[in-house]
Amino acid sequence: MAIISQIQGTGLGLKRELIPQIQSLYGQAQLANINFVEIAPENWISAGSKAAKQLDWFVERYPVVCHGLCLSLGGLSPLNVDFLQQVKTFLHQYQIPVYTEHLSYCTDGFKGEQGYLYDLLPIPFTEEAVHYVAQRIRQTQDILGQRIGIENASFYVAAPISEMSELDFINAVITEADCLLHLDINNIYVNSVNFGFDPHAFLRGIPGERIIYSHMAGHYQQTPNLLVDTHGENVIDPVWALLEDAYQLFGSFPTLLERDNNIPPLLELMHEINKIADYQKKTERRFIASEQLAATG
Amino acid sequence: MTAELPSFQRYQLAFTARLRDPHKQPPLVGVPHERMAVYEEIVFNNLFESVSACFPVAHKVLGKRKWLKLNQAFMREYSANSPLFRKIPEQFLQFLNNADLELQAMLPPYLNSLCHYEWIELFVASSPDTAKPIDIAPECDLANSKPAFAPTMQLLNYDYAVHKISPRHKPKQPESTQLLVFLNTDDQVKFIELNAVTHRLISLLQNAPLTGTQALTLVAKELQHPQPESIIEFGLSILEDLQRQGVIIGTHH
Repeated sequence: MAIISQIQGTGLGLKRELIPQIQSLYGQAQLANINFVEIAPENWISAGSKAAKQLDWFVERYPVVCHGLCLSLGGLSPLNVDFLQQVKTFLHQYQIPVYTEHLSYCTDGFKGEQGYLYDLLPIPFTEEAVHYVAQRIRQTQDILGQRIGIENASFYVAAPISEMSELDFINAVITEADCLLHLDINNIYVNSVNFGFDPHAFLRGIPGERIIYSHMAGHYQQTPNLLVDTHGENVIDPVWALLEDAYQLFGSFPTLLERDNNIPPLLELMHEINKIADYQKKTERRFIASEQLAATG
Repeated sequence: MTAELPSFQRYQLAFTARLRDPHKQPPLVGVPHERMAVYEEIVFNNLFESVSACFPVAHKVLGKRKWLKLNQAFMREYSANSPLFRKIPEQFLQFLNNADLELQAMLPPYLNSLCHYEWIELFVASSPDTAKPIDIAPECDLANSKPAFAPTMQLLNYDYAVHKISPRHKPKQPESTQLLVFLNTDDQVKFIELNAVTHRLISLLQNAPLTGTQALTLVAKELQHPQPESIIEFGLSILEDLQRQGVIIGTHH
């Protein structure tokens, strides 16, 4: 059984392809930096007995966090309360302390149904949208009886009707909903290229004290000014620099590597996880050093 | 009605309308074509890959062009109601079963049966963790007790020999076909082809509190067989065979 304070250090997004490798290398020093794993509830709720056995194996050995894909916080159809109840039961059943979702939408209420489109679509950044999304986050938190984290999503189209920046939108929603922030470092970078802003300045505007954990991932460069958030490549240097900057600004926070496509062998992924762990140690050392300096000074 | 919506929702509706039907819906004003195309591709490809992965035979039998058209119609016309990606193929089946006449005219008559057969494998593989009921004895007297079946077992009845369909073997006429599908103890999905009599026998045992002998006596009666004993003897050997294959997991107390 995990509690929220056990979500620490470095983690890995759990893909089915990686499960046999994790199971066979479990307990060995090579995997020491997998401190927690992340699953999408949409892939594990009522997924059959084989999946249930696999999940039991992980829950016994690792703290697990849930990162949802289809709650559709900005969606046009009513919040899917039946599904949310399933998520609640699932979190309870596996004693999963954290649930986060994207600041995006994937339903349009087509033909009076939910109308799932199964992707992360961009919400226009308007005042009305802030209130609408914040209310749905509050409703979610009321049903679950816990705060959720919302992730800054990557996107490719800026709505011409937007009234504010992405950063202002995120801050307004978080404040109004009183929720946590699931900070995706790669998404900041992807959006900074797609919409031409300074990602380091963006970092300085986020509420660091609300970060529950963060994501690192690679992306695909379709053209020099269009990056697609595929999670199918290695993390690139500017994104590493952004993570380092974030740790310097806010201190170390739990960070998880996402790799969903073009997945290399686990031990290759461990290089990136170990690199995150190194950055975290470096930050912690610096914080201790500066505290000692303050104490002696 | 949409005029009453706040502007951000009107924009969202125009956005998703374009995703559902990029060929007919107008492009969004002020949105670069290249950027919108990213969403149009990602959203369609996600759906297309989920559907294609579940129905490889249907895909091959229809051919690339028709399969694409069918999936585009699914994207355009179907409103999915499940947040679970795993349910996309099931929703595709619902879409097929409610297809309009124009679409049906494009599709071979066996397609829905074939797709159901391809989907049931996924469905059985993800059926809930059904532990063995506690009142089942593993030692078996199949003749004098009520046989217990694997909890995931399903009897299937098709108008076509769906399990034999391939691009080189497209059915020219209906052929009544009975199959059984179940999840074995290693969580593998297994299919068994049945004859009509075995199908009837299993169906009787599933739906009524009968022993093996009682069910076989009924079958012999239905067949008006002159020597019921031979049906019973033969039927018991079938039940033993089903037990060896893991379809029968014991007997009820």
